[in-house]
Amino acid sequence: MSPVDGPGIFNPNLPVDRAVTEGRVPPRAEEQIPELHEVDCPAALRDQFEALMARYPDRKSASIPALWLVQQQYGWCTPEGIRQAAAVMRVTPAYLESVASFYDLLHTSPVGAHRIEVCTNISCWMRGGDELLDAFKAAADGDDENFFVTGFECLGACDIAPMASIDQRYYGPLEAAEAGVAIEQLRAGAEVLPDKDQAKRPLAGDTPIPGAGS
Amino acid sequence: MAHELETRILLDHAEDPALATLDGYKRLAGGYSTLERAYKEMEQDEVLKELEDSGLRGRGGAGFSMGKKASFLPRGEMAKYLCCNADESEPGAFKDRELMQRNPHQLIEGIAIAALAADAGHAFIFIRGEYSTQADILDRAVAEAYEAGYLGTNILGCHRDLELVVHRGAGAYICGEETALLDALEGKRGNPRLKPPFPAVQGLYGGPTLINNVETLSNVPRIVAKGADWFKGFGTEQSPGTKVVSVSGGVRRPGNYEVELGIPTRDLIYGLAGGPDPGHEIKAFYPGGSSSPVLTAEEGMDLPYSFEAMAAAGSMLGSGSIIVADDRVSIPHMALRTARFYHHESCGKCTPCREGTNWTVKMLERVVRGEATPMDLDIISSVQQNIMGHCLCVLGDSMAMPVSAMVNKFRPEFERVIANAGAPLGQEEILPILQGVSS
Amino acid sequence: MSEQRQVTITVDGREIEAIEGEMLHDAARKGDVEIPVFCYEPKLGDPVGACRMCLVEIEGIPKLQTSCSTPVREGMVVHTRTEQVKEAQSAVVEFLLVNHPLDCPVCDKGGECPLQDITQGWGPGRSRVIDEKRHFRKPVELSPLVAIDRERCILCYRCVRFSQEVAEDAQLQLLERGDRTFVGTFDDRPYVAPFHGNITDICPVGALTNYTYRFRARPWDIEQAGSICTLCPSQCNVSFTIRDEKVKRVIARDNHAVDDGWLCDRGRYGFEMFEAEQRVGEPRLKGGAPTSWEAAIAKAAAGLKAAGPRVAAIVGDASNEEALLVQKLVREALGAPHIDSRPSRGAGRAELVRLAQPELSAKVSEIDEAGAILVLGTDPLHSSPILDLRVRKAIRRNGAKLVVATERPTALDGGAEAIARYAPGETRHFIGELTRALGGAETVATPLVETLKDADTVVVLWGERILREDGVGDSLLALAEALGVAATEGAGLLEIPDFANARGLREAGCLPDAGPGLAEVSVAGHPTEEIRSALEAGDLDGLVLFGVDPLRDFPDSKAWEEAINSASFVVSFSMFENASSTKADLLFPLETHAEKDGTVTHPDGRLQRVRPSASRPGNVRSNIQVLSELCSALGLDTGINSQPTAFTALKTAIPFYSSIEEADLGGQGVRWQETSSASAVPSLGGDVGTPSERIAEEERRSPAAPATNGSFDEVPSEEGVPAASPSLALGTYRDLWAGPITELNPPLKFLQPQQRLEISLADAERLGLQSGDQVKVSQNGSGVEAHVLIKERVPEGVCFLAEGVAEGNANGLLNGGPVRVEISKLERVEA
Ligand SMILES: Cc1cc2nc3c(=O)[nH]c(=O)nc-3n(C[C@H](O)[C@H](O)[C@H](O)COP(=O)(O)O)c2cc1C
Ligand code: SF4
Ligand code: FES
Repeated sequence: MSPVDGPGIFNPNLPVDRAVTEGRVPPRAEEQIPELHEVDCPAALRDQFEALMARYPDRKSASIPALWLVQQQYGWCTPEGIRQAAAVMRVTPAYLESVASFYDLLHTSPVGAHRIEVCTNISCWMRGGDELLDAFKAAADGDDENFFVTGFECLGACDIAPMASIDQRYYGPLEAAEAGVAIEQLRAGAEVLPDKDQAKRPLAGDTPIPGAGS
Repeated sequence: MAHELETRILLDHAEDPALATLDGYKRLAGGYSTLERAYKEMEQDEVLKELEDSGLRGRGGAGFSMGKKASFLPRGEMAKYLCCNADESEPGAFKDRELMQRNPHQLIEGIAIAALAADAGHAFIFIRGEYSTQADILDRAVAEAYEAGYLGTNILGCHRDLELVVHRGAGAYICGEETALLDALEGKRGNPRLKPPFPAVQGLYGGPTLINNVETLSNVPRIVAKGADWFKGFGTEQSPGTKVVSVSGGVRRPGNYEVELGIPTRDLIYGLAGGPDPGHEIKAFYPGGSSSPVLTAEEGMDLPYSFEAMAAAGSMLGSGSIIVADDRVSIPHMALRTARFYHHESCGKCTPCREGTNWTVKMLERVVRGEATPMDLDIISSVQQNIMGHCLCVLGDSMAMPVSAMVNKFRPEFERVIANAGAPLGQEEILPILQGVSS
Repeated sequence: MSEQRQVTITVDGREIEAIEGEMLHDAARKGDVEIPVFCYEPKLGDPVGACRMCLVEIEGIPKLQTSCSTPVREGMVVHTRTEQVKEAQSAVVEFLLVNHPLDCPVCDKGGECPLQDITQGWGPGRSRVIDEKRHFRKPVELSPLVAIDRERCILCYRCVRFSQEVAEDAQLQLLERGDRTFVGTFDDRPYVAPFHGNITDICPVGALTNYTYRFRARPWDIEQAGSICTLCPSQCNVSFTIRDEKVKRVIARDNHAVDDGWLCDRGRYGFEMFEAEQRVGEPRLKGGAPTSWEAAIAKAAAGLKAAGPRVAAIVGDASNEEALLVQKLVREALGAPHIDSRPSRGAGRAELVRLAQPELSAKVSEIDEAGAILVLGTDPLHSSPILDLRVRKAIRRNGAKLVVATERPTALDGGAEAIARYAPGETRHFIGELTRALGGAETVATPLVETLKDADTVVVLWGERILREDGVGDSLLALAEALGVAATEGAGLLEIPDFANARGLREAGCLPDAGPGLAEVSVAGHPTEEIRSALEAGDLDGLVLFGVDPLRDFPDSKAWEEAINSASFVVSFSMFENASSTKADLLFPLETHAEKDGTVTHPDGRLQRVRPSASRPGNVRSNIQVLSELCSALGLDTGINSQPTAFTALKTAIPFYSSIEEADLGGQGVRWQETSSASAVPSLGGDVGTPSERIAEEERRSPAAPATNGSFDEVPSEEGVPAASPSLALGTYRDLWAGPITELNPPLKFLQPQQRLEISLADAERLGLQSGDQVKVSQNGSGVEAHVLIKERVPEGVCFLAEGVAEGNANGLLNGGPVRVEISKLERVEA
């Protein structure tokens, strides 16, 4: 679309959304794309949204990254945060909520500060993934403020089964007992299970086969 | 040192962390020299021909010829795109993670060369949101590549541009399906699209789009550097090259092993992954990820590990991920785990998949609770039949195939589980597994 | 458009002629082969192939294919009855029922439910499902008008696609994933958008139902009656659901030439007012005392006779036949020339006749194929809602280029290629600039020209209200000339008038300077505004108001109050008591569009039939009979006593209607331009010159070219305005929801608009205002209160108020000319 610019009577740079409707609405119904002055979006956040939009041929492609940002900023995809992203991206909040709710890593309700995803899929399940999940749940019990523990589908780390992703980093193979340790380390702000960090492992082929010569 | 059964090409020097940096990649692997040659000296068609002749088959699951797919893209002025599928979410698969983590520049160079073949000006790496360690590594590598002029505008002064964006998903297996990936990349819910039109003709933003797996694209630099014949020197006639195989489950040394396609499956499972824990037997395995029909040890252990052999055995090589089930594993419970995964990941767009996965899970739950009759096993099988071939994409089939294989090949065990109200074979050591089942 | 190739396909052994590329499902239907579908609905755009209900076998393709998304090719051989297909179809039905509650006995959809029918026809017939079904809280309020039962939803995507791809409000979405997916809105807020009721029509199950209809009736004790909605000029085709002779529901009746099978919520939910207590049920005297018909007619006749030629009439909500009769009453029975059908000023006969020429007029369906659409001085969403959807469709499906030129931001701006905002009162000037720009001159309107020039066909949607400015009729004709619409097939002008049947009223002769058929009249009478001043001045005594409420709906309410007060005898015909009718010496009831029998004329010239569907309440009589009785009481025998006789009279009075038969009006109606009598439309004899010549001529005589180029920053008295006197140009608009529609229909009450002062961010800051602030908006003496609403797209220097709202009606501030207002802040109230 080539927005008109020109003297006086022309209103330049109009958004090109078709989602503008004008039925009068009861107090809580935000049926339009919020205008920027209606949301108080932190300037820095707004700049980040715009930078994301600029990375793609179509600004809508930025919706998942933008929702990641909202989650970073507010801990989860809060309605207010979604409205801020919607106002900058010129899409409806409903559209973004629909997207957010489709994906397992985007949360449309409050979650704890530390996110722990324990794989309970086939390979991890075979090696005790369920027990590991229980152990994490027990260790974090009652501290929803700080911890969000959930079973998860295959995280793509069956080589370190049973494993867990803690604040987006992979650890394994884990003993049930190590769940409590990890939780304490998180509470203490210490490095989590340094020797179980997946990123630090050698290639499998370069390690000895447990319980076998060479 | 690498085991003699391994043939490390994609994983060459992968043990050295320096490989993940631009300097390391250039020093250890002569990185980006192929890109330089391709951009400076080669025509689009030469690159295409090399790739087609090599017989490189897609490593993401479908096993379709990469060169052929690239040649399907229409020529012309319209904007074309390349998407690297790094969503790797199929249970049992973790090889792309290893490749991106240890050798990101190999992938970037492969993408840049493939973009030449596809005449794409815009490329994306769609990486699953869980892989943030690997996404960070890629971000750094991409920045280095831009810095060095291997990406961006007027690459190496050859008047070709390529923008490369690392796009993080947010947790949905279905986004690995190529058209769902496109929707996700366009900022929508990751629902598969109707085909035709195929992405090669009308993909991202409606433009012609080449979609390939991480491992597929990682193969590109060496194929173009050393030629199709060199590549065909590895593997079998119909499955040329090497494959990074993820082996996991009931083995002593789970991990990724790069081997020539066609080596005996036994070498992978026993020779490299160390076989089952002492005192245990292997009962069955998924040869190509959780979507592949399970093979019993007898059926599969001595098959060559190749696309054609696995297909002939009624299963598939898929993404090249072996999940081993030893004699402690209750097949009905494993079927339930498998079904649960697909139920959870079904996008919900089409009826047979959405409702079929949900119904199958409910029936299998009754089976392991012992609240089923043998007739339910027939219903389970017929429901799998009703799903197969009726869905919008193959996610539905991906559950139906392994589940019906398990029910058919291990029916007596299912019946025993029903009969013993969930205490299969009375083997204490598998109880831990069972306790998890209701979670 | 690429022309269509015929192909032959074979379905179940039967050869079928089809159009290449059309979807197999549709082609098969032509051969009476029904393939069941749930998600497929062409009105919603491209197929999604989600429900998988329509799987069929196509020879040469191993897998079953979805017939809703498979384009037909020559020689295609298809089987829809093989074992393989039957199994697949019954499997899909079985899957759909896995989670469906099967609560048909208590479901409103029961008996008219596609899921029931398809289960009957294609389902397995027995259930193998013993497992727990998914549960949702049910039913919940999706909006104050629509209930959603998520357990019944089969996730066919229809309703959400309507929201995305038809209404484009993007409010209704799928949430969550897999079988947890459900239809919902952002943050559980109500889905409130002007077309949302349509989702209850397209839902193939009982998931979406109308609160206005829940448990009101069963399919077997209702009947459907087809008629026309006359609540706005769109004249959408509706089907009334009638039980006990009362309207219980309004649903769409697909007419591609008019409404594309959609309804706005106004037309859909605006029927409970038929029973409102404010409904006038019998003739009444001033003060409200009922009186007998005989007495009423005698009194009316006496009063009007006394005033004789000093009577004037204004007609609004009326059928063609009623309009013809009122005009007979005034002109023939009373010998008075004063009759009009416009709330304010309008164009003279010469301009109207030119505008009525068939070659200039576009029909609704031509919007679909238009290369470019120019929306000029109107917001279709408010003035003719269904056309808003039509324009969106043209852009979305056919890549039409939209140009919007209005005072006020419109709902369509988002899809526009180019947008111009001109100052209120600057319409004529703007159109002039646009016309000059089309001629190659460099003007403020130049940025719009490229789009319009590139298009092979241009359809201009223009608002009748722009004719309130002098000379705009001719500017419009000059613009049409510059765009060459007359010579171009598929191009033309399409008016969006103020009254629902405005075109019919004009053509039936409700104009001061034109009789039936736009014929010349010997003596021209007063137009609306002069009627008002003549009444005030005592030059007129009697006033007949037919379906109008000047005190609410006409500009300058104060002056109208004066006028009506000074009239010696006022007769009002009205459906409901309103401000004007209570001042009438005699009040006659009117039939609603569900009760009356008659014809109406769409702005594009299509005559359609309004059919009596429900019984008249109380002592209401046929409008036609009442009017003809009144005429005879005044000594005029019209020979009209029924719809047929009235229609015949209409055809005789309007030559260009003469070849239309009642039969033509059934179904889709007929455009008079497309009948043999079209040539009988009057044209202006003698050489009157082209519009541009006349304009040049006129400008020479009165070089009253506007003192500004229309740009806000140059509106006189604008620059150097001290911030202390925050004077802004006032624009007004008719709000979709203003008026009895939201006051007399209980279900629509929540939509009642409050007065909002729409103002730009810059002006708001300058005046220290925030959204929600309460302000007084005044203009010498008179003032109204409003809440501030800051809108990014409102240009600086102008502000907008709604007409016809219950409180703070902007008509109170208007005086015919451009108005500037002062804004003063009252105490802050939380919005
Ligand atoms: C449900 C589903 C999930 C898939 N997931 C992946 C994936 O995670 N990674 C991948 O490369 N291909 C995946 N695929 C295959 C892709 O659709 C596509 O065939 C592949 O990316 C093409 O690349 P290739 O030809 O290099 O294999 C998946 C397919 C389906 C149906
Ligand atoms: S609510 Fe109705 S129309 Fe919407 S998805 Fe569900 S079944 Fe379909
Ligand atoms: S099964 Fe646990 S990561 Fe794959």
